[in-house]
Amino acid sequence: MIWLALVSWGWSPAFAGSCGEMEAQIANVFRELARDQPGEAEKGLELIEASHPDCSQTLLARARIEAAKGQSSQAEDLFARYTNLEPGDARGYAYYAAFLIGQREYQRADAMSVVAMEKNSNDAAALAVRGHILDMKGQSDEGMTLLQKACELDPENGEAQFQLGAIYKRAKRPADAVKHFEKATAVNPSDARAWDYLALSLETVGELDRVEKSYLQGLEVNAPGPHFDAFLDYNYGRFLTKRNQVTEAKIHLDRAVDLVPQMRATWYERAKLNLRLKNYQQARSDAEKAAAIADQAGVIIDLQVYVLLEQVYRRLGETELAQKYANLARETQVPIRGDHR
Amino acid sequence: MKSALHWLFAVILTVNLAVGQSIRFENQTKRSGVTFVLDNGTTDDKPIIDSVLGGVALLDYDNDGYLDIFFTNGARIPGLAKDSARFSNRLYRNNHDGTFTDVTDRAGVRGEGYSMGAAAADFDNDGWTDIYVTGVNRNILYRNNHDATFTDVTERADVSGVSGGKKLWSVSAAWIDYDNDGRLDLFVVNYLDWSFENSRVCGPPGKRLSCPPSLYQGQPSILYHNNGDGTFTDVSSAVGISAHIGKGMGVAIADYNDDGWTDIFVANDNERNFLFKNRGGRAFDEVGVETSVAYTEDGVPVSSMGVDFRDWANDGKPGLFVTALGGETFPLFRNEGNGFFSMETYKAGIGFTSFKMSGWGAGIYDFDNDGYKDLFSSNSHVSENADLDPQQQYRQSNAVFQNLRNGNFRDVSEQSGPDMQVRTAHRGCAFGDLNNDGKIDVVVSAIGSPGELLYNRSPGNNHWILIQAVGTKSNRDGIGTRIKLTSESGLTQYNHVTTAGSYASSSDKRVHFGLGSDSRIKEIELRWPTGKLQVLRNVKADQVLKVTEE
Repeated sequence: MIWLALVSWGWSPAFAGSCGEMEAQIANVFRELARDQPGEAEKGLELIEASHPDCSQTLLARARIEAAKGQSSQAEDLFARYTNLEPGDARGYAYYAAFLIGQREYQRADAMSVVAMEKNSNDAAALAVRGHILDMKGQSDEGMTLLQKACELDPENGEAQFQLGAIYKRAKRPADAVKHFEKATAVNPSDARAWDYLALSLETVGELDRVEKSYLQGLEVNAPGPHFDAFLDYNYGRFLTKRNQVTEAKIHLDRAVDLVPQMRATWYERAKLNLRLKNYQQARSDAEKAAAIADQAGVIIDLQVYVLLEQVYRRLGETELAQKYANLARETQVPIRGDHR
Repeated sequence: MKSALHWLFAVILTVNLAVGQSIRFENQTKRSGVTFVLDNGTTDDKPIIDSVLGGVALLDYDNDGYLDIFFTNGARIPGLAKDSARFSNRLYRNNHDGTFTDVTDRAGVRGEGYSMGAAAADFDNDGWTDIYVTGVNRNILYRNNHDATFTDVTERADVSGVSGGKKLWSVSAAWIDYDNDGRLDLFVVNYLDWSFENSRVCGPPGKRLSCPPSLYQGQPSILYHNNGDGTFTDVSSAVGISAHIGKGMGVAIADYNDDGWTDIFVANDNERNFLFKNRGGRAFDEVGVETSVAYTEDGVPVSSMGVDFRDWANDGKPGLFVTALGGETFPLFRNEGNGFFSMETYKAGIGFTSFKMSGWGAGIYDFDNDGYKDLFSSNSHVSENADLDPQQQYRQSNAVFQNLRNGNFRDVSEQSGPDMQVRTAHRGCAFGDLNNDGKIDVVVSAIGSPGELLYNRSPGNNHWILIQAVGTKSNRDGIGTRIKLTSESGLTQYNHVTTAGSYASSSDKRVHFGLGSDSRIKEIELRWPTGKLQVLRNVKADQVLKVTEE
């Protein structure tokens, strides 16, 4: 157990010398960061900085705090200083890589995560960020292996729990996904993304009461920050529609359109709801907007938009337009599912 | 306060009792003498044919007033021959006491080839029910000889399922008088362009899974026009059917737009569904997209398998209930009556529960005789090795959704008896009243397991009527006749005569109505395919009523 604890905190003799008995306090700072509480983390860190100005880990903590506060250039500078100061510490590169992912500097993050693993392939933070990057690169099986190991070594790594849950969710293993999203939300109740994904996975396994609660908890904490979830209202709105709570659904889908107007999915979903509510003109407007937005990710494919437009125009008595989209729907190849079933 | 609580309790109790507190089924196979086991002859490679067989027919082949059971069966792979008794199709005669006798050999209906489904009706208007069997490599039309035997008349009738010189893979079939000429025509639903030469394998060796239909080209359906002399003519091209290539599995018929001409719905597997709108008996327009039944409300197709096409909303407009794979939900379409359908799967309360089910057979029947039709699905995943994925379940229990009389349904499967909890590889199922007690029973076929004779044991004394239409100018079975029934309390219901529906199966031709507490029926209107309206008044409940076309 002691070994595990040391590994998980990336213990090295250099830190012991400079940070002394501050390890526990620094762990608290990191814990606050994992809970999206940079203010609390900063308070703790200031005490450590005052008493142990030579403790190098404060630099890493400070870098992460600045990153969490959105102070990118300061954070980058601090990460660079830390990795120069402690070149043998895998965690420095791992958190640096995680920061770079947040900055959408994926190539640098990729390279940095490789260095982190070279320094210590048993470091939970290194495993987590490398696993995440491999998953982003389409190497989900390899990513899953690393993330599983990261979660074993450090169950309190909320990000690793979330990323592993996301892989399971995509792999249509919702029950496994639920376990990891539950852990992610337990570690960081402020992670709105994790609540959203937890709700989606719970719906798949049929735990509908918990779905509702998860969405509501997610909405309560969904604030600007690293774990803000612009699709929480979208997903909750869809769920409410399925539950026939159409008035409430409309509120959330309206908000989803406001939050993510550049996404076809939000307009599409609101158009469907308007069609159901017999608000045909609004359905038309939303559906046409959806049609005008390309969806490279394939969340809402063209066929879906054609079918929707056909239905809206048909009900508006726009026969020619309806027929145009009926024909387009018929001509459009249906999506191919999996290589088996 | 105390009296208020009592009142509340009384209200809750009343509501529970009123909304058909329970639908219950008991599997009576063991005591029935029915020993049929659906044998798909599977091999290690799991060719796609081995997962989609299993149609059942309920018909009264000997005119004794009781339904008999016909099970279709597989064949040896790769020969596709019924070279062993274990592959025989089976006909069981109803002994009227809950037992059945295997009369397959005497009746001469063992079959040939790899069979899929069955459709039963009196195609030659002689008063005796005939059987059409669909299959991968052989379709068979059996004419009833009136002496408990059948004759294979496929060749003479020219209904072999061959099109363009090639035998198509037929799954389901429907008897329909599409041109209202008084003779039943035959609609045959074909699935995939599969053969051993182009057969694909999916999944690793030893863990093969059923390949998806996307790996094969689809096939058109066939419509055979009945010439009235024992022969049929393939009119698929002439009436606009063959132009539509689908991956058809299920078929059901109804006059969805109330124009007097019966329309056809084809459930396609992971392709858009077809709704063939009958244009005055001369041709068909495929209007699935235009009527919003081609896709789900999400604008994508699902793996549609079974289907029933009846008025589940008691509004005189037949709607659709379609079974599909897990993760897709079972589409439930309401017929709006204005040329549109709306998908109400979630709205009606079957979305979240059917999401976890993979369904084959489908039925819209009033199982608790309360005057509101319920839903039934026979369930199982497609792939025998699906369990290798811990999130999947190959063997599944059947499901029944009770109509709550307000447009919503409730999944009451868990309360419908221990035999409804049995998980197995269910496939097709047929609906009918096996013991003439006025309650609709279900016979389900299951791969590798005995067929299930699910007798309806729902408690209560709700009244009922079974109407057997006998056409004189219309086809003898009265298929296509629309019936409007208004019972004593004023509740009006609608249904129509058909044997088509479910998955690859054929159900009781008698039309069932549950009547709740009404022991008399004010009025029954029968609109025959000829267009003639026949009205019966003040009819007593709890009988099998034979109505002959005037």
